[in-house]
Amino acid sequence: MKLKFRMYSVVGMVGLSLGEQHFIQGGIAQDLRCDGRKRLTYRPIHVETGVIPQANGSARIRIGATEVIASVKAELGKPSLSQPDKGKVFIYIDCSSTAEPAFEGRGGEELSAELSTALHCCLLGAKSGAGAGIDRTSLVVEGKICWDLYIDGLVVSSDGNLLDALGAAIKAALSNTGIPSVKVTAGAASDEQPEVDISDEEFLQFDTSGVPVIITLTKVGREYIVDATPEEESQMSSAISISVNKKGHICGITKRGGAGLDPSVILDMVSVAQYVSGKLMNKLDSEIASAEAEDES
Amino acid sequence: MASKAGMTPATYSPSPTTGKNKPPLFKEDSTRPDGRDFHQCRPAFLRTGAVNAASGSAYAEFGNTKVIVSVFGPRESKKAMMYSDTGRLNCNVSYTTFATPVRGEGSDHKEYSSMLHKALEGAIILESFPKTTVDVFALVLQSSGSDLPVVISCASLALADAGILMYDLVASVSVSCLGKNLVIDPISEEENSQDGSLMITCMPSRHEITQLTVTGECSTSKIKEGMQLCLDACAKLANVMRSCLKESSSDAHGLDNESS
Repeated sequence: MKLKFRMYSVVGMVGLSLGEQHFIQGGIAQDLRCDGRKRLTYRPIHVETGVIPQANGSARIRIGATEVIASVKAELGKPSLSQPDKGKVFIYIDCSSTAEPAFEGRGGEELSAELSTALHCCLLGAKSGAGAGIDRTSLVVEGKICWDLYIDGLVVSSDGNLLDALGAAIKAALSNTGIPSVKVTAGAASDEQPEVDISDEEFLQFDTSGVPVIITLTKVGREYIVDATPEEESQMSSAISISVNKKGHICGITKRGGAGLDPSVILDMVSVAQYVSGKLMNKLDSEIASAEAEDES
Repeated sequence: MASKAGMTPATYSPSPTTGKNKPPLFKEDSTRPDGRDFHQCRPAFLRTGAVNAASGSAYAEFGNTKVIVSVFGPRESKKAMMYSDTGRLNCNVSYTTFATPVRGEGSDHKEYSSMLHKALEGAIILESFPKTTVDVFALVLQSSGSDLPVVISCASLALADAGILMYDLVASVSVSCLGKNLVIDPISEEENSQDGSLMITCMPSRHEITQLTVTGECSTSKIKEGMQLCLDACAKLANVMRSCLKESSSDAHGLDNESS
């Protein structure tokens, strides 16, 4: 019995006829997708950084027709009681109704929550902070003050593979982030709020060498594809999003989509993701570097 | 009275909240705070039929984590929803305000509802109740580590109690990485200081994983080891769940025989 699940119900998309469905499935089985790509090839990726001047860091990424914008804002705050030596990072995703009419009002809420959770899991790592993509201990200014990073992602245009695009956009935005340096005036009593002097001039660049990329492998029939379009996503049985960092270590795995998967299949997908991540990481890094260079010039 | 599946601890005493100095990580002689082995799960107490008004319900106690799940349905879908020739599943996980040591902290876990939905939708035969909705409401009465796996296992037991057709019972277990060790079924102190975690939801008889979440940096070998541990534990947990269902149905049968 064939189980077909949709990752999210995209109401605006016209349904596929049986012939089109077979065409997509057959093509993927023969390593030739509808737009001519191989199974493990990404669509062209364009990166622009510094698109939002008021934010500490921002980036806009286009993968094919999927377009997302990520912005990073840093505000001073107090570290939480349970983890006094770490700053806080909040990730919010908003699916704008310009992407899909179904996202208007509360329609996009479920998808936004799912994407936010997956990004949290992939980028922020465990509660103790070990193995996280973003090093939260670097956010602490001094004892009672830390930086709170608010990472906001906006889906402007949705054409499949939103999670990968958001992960890449957040990576680009973080490498564009400049955190102003802070001088804390000494001598304040331990209970009072210490005085801070936020400089407008000096900025510290955020260290993003540890930030992972997220790769979503969609299983269609017996094969896995990377960077699925909405038509391909409608034919999937399940998908796994794996985040891999520069050293090739897995930083997080989320399974998305309904059908069950054999454990050996999951391990196979993990190794495929590690293989693909090398190329994607290099491509992203070079694109981000050239975008930053353009930004400065 | 159906016999318990395992011994539960006698009383629950809240741990005093220490002020500034947190006690160092407790692994002196490789035992866990509650005396279990690294690869030993907490004893599980499962009972169906906890809520009379619901179509099906279940109550689960795994150590100090106590969860109650009610299933209502299949009920008519709201008129606002589109026609659908497969059934719909609606899940909600909420925490009581007294569930966590600090009052009200449970509202951090809003994503558990969608994760429960993902875990269950692969196991339920949705085509068996078209045009209708099955509501699964989970309430965490006390949260003491490994909450979501307990909620998922309890929810599948409640669905079975409600008579919803499923491919298989869904069992769920999580594993925590603490340093180099993998500990199964962590309690909340272990979860707060973990370096990584792996949660697996699977259908043991079909040997299929319906949900998998890995956080923190793990090598592939650790993931493999963790998955193997979880799958073994899920198989055992599913047997416990099955025996609980058998006992409750033979109880009901026994009562019917007596009354007739």
